[in-house]
Amino acid sequence: MTANSPSEQELLEMHRRMVLTRCLEETLGEMHKAGRTRGPIHRCDGQEAVGVGATAALAAEDFVTTTHRGHAVYLGRGLDPRRVVAEIFGRETGYCAGRGGHMLLGDVETGMLGGNAIVGASIPAATGMALSMQLQGAARVALAVFGDGAAQTGICHESMNIAALWRLPVVFLLEHNAYGLTVHHSAQSSVPELSARAAGYGMPGETIDGNDVVAVFQAVAQAVQRARRGDGPSLIEARTYRLEGFSTSDMGGYQPEDEIAKWRARDPIMLSRARLAEALGAARVAACEAAARAEMDAAFETALADPMPGFTPHAPSAPYSEPPDGGGR
Amino acid sequence: MATPITIGAAAGEYMEAVLVTEWRARPGDRVRAGDVVAVVETAKAATEVEAPCDGVLGRIAAGEGGEVAIDTPLGFILAEGEDEGEAETAGEPEYAAASDPAPETRQATPMPAPARQPGGRVVASPVARRLARAAGLDLSHLAGSGPRGRIKRRDVEAALAAAPGVDAALPVVLLHGFAADAAIWSALAAELGRDRALLRPELPGHGKAPPPPGAGFNGLVAPMLEWLDAQQAARLHLVGHSLGGAVALALAGQRPGRIASLTLIAPAGLGPGIDGEALAGICRATHPESLLPWLRRLVADPGLIGDDYARAAMAGRGAALRAAQTALAGRLFPDGTQGFDLRPVLAGVDVPLRLIWGREDAILPWRQALAAPGHAGLHLLPGTGHMPHVEAPQLVARILREVLAAAQSGGGDRA
Amino acid sequence: MAMMRYAEALNLALREEMARDDSVFVFGEDVAAYGGVFKVTQGLAEAFGDRVRDTPISEQTLTAMAVTAAMAGSRPVLEIMYADFLPLSLDALINQASVYHYIWNGQVSMPFVLRTQGGGGVGTGAQHAKSLDAMVAHVPGLKVVAPVTPADARALLKAAIRDPHPVIFLEHKLLYNLRGEVPEEDDAPGEIGRARLVREGGDVSIFATSRMVLEAEKAADDLAGDGIAAEVIDLRSLRPLDLGAITASVAKTNHAVVVNEGWRFCGYTAELAATIMDRAFDDLDAPVERVATRDMPIPYAETLEREVIPDAAAIAAAARRALA
Ligand SMILES: Cc1ncc(C[n+]2csc(CCOP(=O)(O)OP(=O)(O)O)c2C)c(N)n1
Ligand SMILES: [Mg+2]
Repeated sequence: MTANSPSEQELLEMHRRMVLTRCLEETLGEMHKAGRTRGPIHRCDGQEAVGVGATAALAAEDFVTTTHRGHAVYLGRGLDPRRVVAEIFGRETGYCAGRGGHMLLGDVETGMLGGNAIVGASIPAATGMALSMQLQGAARVALAVFGDGAAQTGICHESMNIAALWRLPVVFLLEHNAYGLTVHHSAQSSVPELSARAAGYGMPGETIDGNDVVAVFQAVAQAVQRARRGDGPSLIEARTYRLEGFSTSDMGGYQPEDEIAKWRARDPIMLSRARLAEALGAARVAACEAAARAEMDAAFETALADPMPGFTPHAPSAPYSEPPDGGGR
Repeated sequence: MATPITIGAAAGEYMEAVLVTEWRARPGDRVRAGDVVAVVETAKAATEVEAPCDGVLGRIAAGEGGEVAIDTPLGFILAEGEDEGEAETAGEPEYAAASDPAPETRQATPMPAPARQPGGRVVASPVARRLARAAGLDLSHLAGSGPRGRIKRRDVEAALAAAPGVDAALPVVLLHGFAADAAIWSALAAELGRDRALLRPELPGHGKAPPPPGAGFNGLVAPMLEWLDAQQAARLHLVGHSLGGAVALALAGQRPGRIASLTLIAPAGLGPGIDGEALAGICRATHPESLLPWLRRLVADPGLIGDDYARAAMAGRGAALRAAQTALAGRLFPDGTQGFDLRPVLAGVDVPLRLIWGREDAILPWRQALAAPGHAGLHLLPGTGHMPHVEAPQLVARILREVLAAAQSGGGDRA
Repeated sequence: MAMMRYAEALNLALREEMARDDSVFVFGEDVAAYGGVFKVTQGLAEAFGDRVRDTPISEQTLTAMAVTAAMAGSRPVLEIMYADFLPLSLDALINQASVYHYIWNGQVSMPFVLRTQGGGGVGTGAQHAKSLDAMVAHVPGLKVVAPVTPADARALLKAAIRDPHPVIFLEHKLLYNLRGEVPEEDDAPGEIGRARLVREGGDVSIFATSRMVLEAEKAADDLAGDGIAAEVIDLRSLRPLDLGAITASVAKTNHAVVVNEGWRFCGYTAELAATIMDRAFDDLDAPVERVATRDMPIPYAETLEREVIPDAAAIAAAARRALA
């Protein structure tokens, strides 16, 4: 066991959050088929170990930014499932009272700031928070989660250069799920191994198994410690796979069946379950999973009964200038 | 009996007027004594004005944003079922004793407030202003039916329809002369401004118009008659120059009911004499140099027509156009003589009629104007040749405005 | 004539222009193998090979490359997946594309087309539902078109590709499945700068852009029930504007409602209102009524989004205000 090995209790909790996430995604899939969702929803089935393992390695006062595919980060960071579901369904009781939606959820209390649907934007977002922490002399770290597609943006390069140059307390976690929308990473990047780029910025970089929640936890924990010490950023490329397509509006057909099957056989929840069953016994793990599923089912039930927001006077709308007569349409 | 709503005790000392900031009730609303019906600003404080009695809010005499003198009513409250017309004489001491108006002048809907508030400006839409200006209508007496009492187009039109002798800006038709085209009117049009619609059709065989379908003068008139019949305006003011003057006269003869006034500028058709040499010279010319001397003959001051002018004129005179005009000239002015006589038509013109002629017209002698009937006016322009609208556009515009105004006040200009 | 969807009409135009002119190429995210996330470029990669390219997610660079590829002799058609990402392209558009023809004294022109789609109404949230028309229409040197019908989509895309100057081609996510007649046999390009008279009427003119034209038509139906004859004009070309069509209609009706799905403040409707005031002031019988998206981020919840983005009811109400 290395210094960063999670305890059994921590392992079980990460497992629980992965199951919560999977349950969220599967239920959303069913709801989409039933025509009960609005707008495209980006499921992260098969990638849960990345968001959950990484956020588990953060301290309570740290920050995390994520992408349009952020459900595992939301739940990994400990957000209340009911309020997450409520936000996804645009309810008044959601984290942002229905204003943000599933891609753009933000929660200041947990430092989850936040989902971001502009590809690449989560990278400078965390970098800026890290700059503020450095200037304030706070030993707080910002974690940027972003995709393999986002790694090709200009702002990714610019953020990494500045972060390394100024030794900012930021961790770059590249959630490599093999596709940027419908385009395979081999058609997007000139190098197959993206962690190789870290060397160009003079920061450590490694490629890890993103389906192994322990591997993710350990790598991120180490990078977080380094950042907290003031030694600057790191790049972690977590290899995983998107099992359920780009979004609920994806027509599919471009992810080879055998590729999907290969990754399904390495499902992160399965791997974690096997590991835990050995240590704690299958019954305990099953009980934990059942509780997680029940919690998510209850979250859906309550959230869906919650009211939709009304277009009534609303303090956060104040800075957006409306003509005084309300004739702004 | 309409009860006035007044400021009453709200008025402070030394105050002469208050500003109406809000009406809480609208005309037609039922109100009870003591209800707040309006808010006024007195020396920077808002004061609520209460209804003096039960009833229905009638006419608002001082709209929002208006200043009102202390002793003037803001509006009126009508008894249940009382007619709006009874409160017509707003502001007069005997408002309550107004006599019963004739039933047909009664308003089914509450009468809107006059758009001019005491001390304020007239609030009217741009198009309402434009139409009123053209028709000589004073907006300050008009009630506006738009939001906040704004005078809209419909208010002006209603006023014009109701007031005899005032029309909603009938269009003015300008008919150019032989060998010219619609562009000849540009100087005059600039003088007349945008108040009136100016229609500038081109005579057959001129400008972009196809050659006349038939021979002779009637061949020229027939398509113009068709054009006139296709116009939407009930009536039009006709202005014609030279050959276009003759056409205008012929149109007035055939459609007297459609013509509001007739202004003839050095018209053809009033005698045999014409400068055939100049006509032939213009038709013949294929170069600016050969066109220039004949163009100069059209005006009193040859300096007005330069090389550039001739070049531009020649550029517009292609072979087909020249051929059509040569043929036309041959039929209308055989052997250098006017081959048609409209003097009988002129004698029968009954609408306001003016003739404008240059004393130094070398193409058509001004004495031909003497064929006009007694009610016609004749303007003889000194130092002017055959082209008064080009040589003296300001003066011609002034005369035209007088004609339009006279037609209006004489009842001859109603739509 | 053939019935086709808006997306198919765009596809047809791309095929025709690529076949006609070897210098035309198409690039953007997901446009080749997948055929575009809105399926506009479907099948082009099979037909034209390397001239249709999937790109990394690099909008700023892609736009800058389109500018100079055009300068160097190609005719790029770049797809930017959402109009919300236009801000990433803006440097290339504002500081590069729009200036060279002028500052290099006419030596170069940049015949490229940037296709994108905007608009909301389907719960895509604050970063995927905007109409940023005014942001591009603000830039001198860019033409901006926004067709509504499949026939116009095809004809104007062809015109945009053949245009010697940069053209921003604005589509709307809710138009792609709209069906309409397309005259296949007539493959002439459309004319940029001409409005389309959708419906004649004498009481009030409604000038609308993109999907708002459809809402304006519904509003006109509603107004007709009250005996109000609304004239609906699809501007089609946001820059240059068809001033003649605008002034002629206002001269006829004396009332104008202008509609655009972008924000109101400094928005496209502000330009339209100012233009009408400049050009047709004396014809106005009421202030120009503006119908635009509320000045705020597009909310996610349906109950909020529908209050923020204009619809037929808002347009009809504006027309009634103008006529009051
Ligand atoms: C700037 C920008 N360009 C394009 C898009 C459209 N888009 C949304 S997600 C996506 C693919 C992102 O790929 P990746 O970063 O690998 O994330 P993943 O979806 O695989 O989680 C694209 C192109 C966007 N949202 N923002
Ligand atoms: Mg990816």
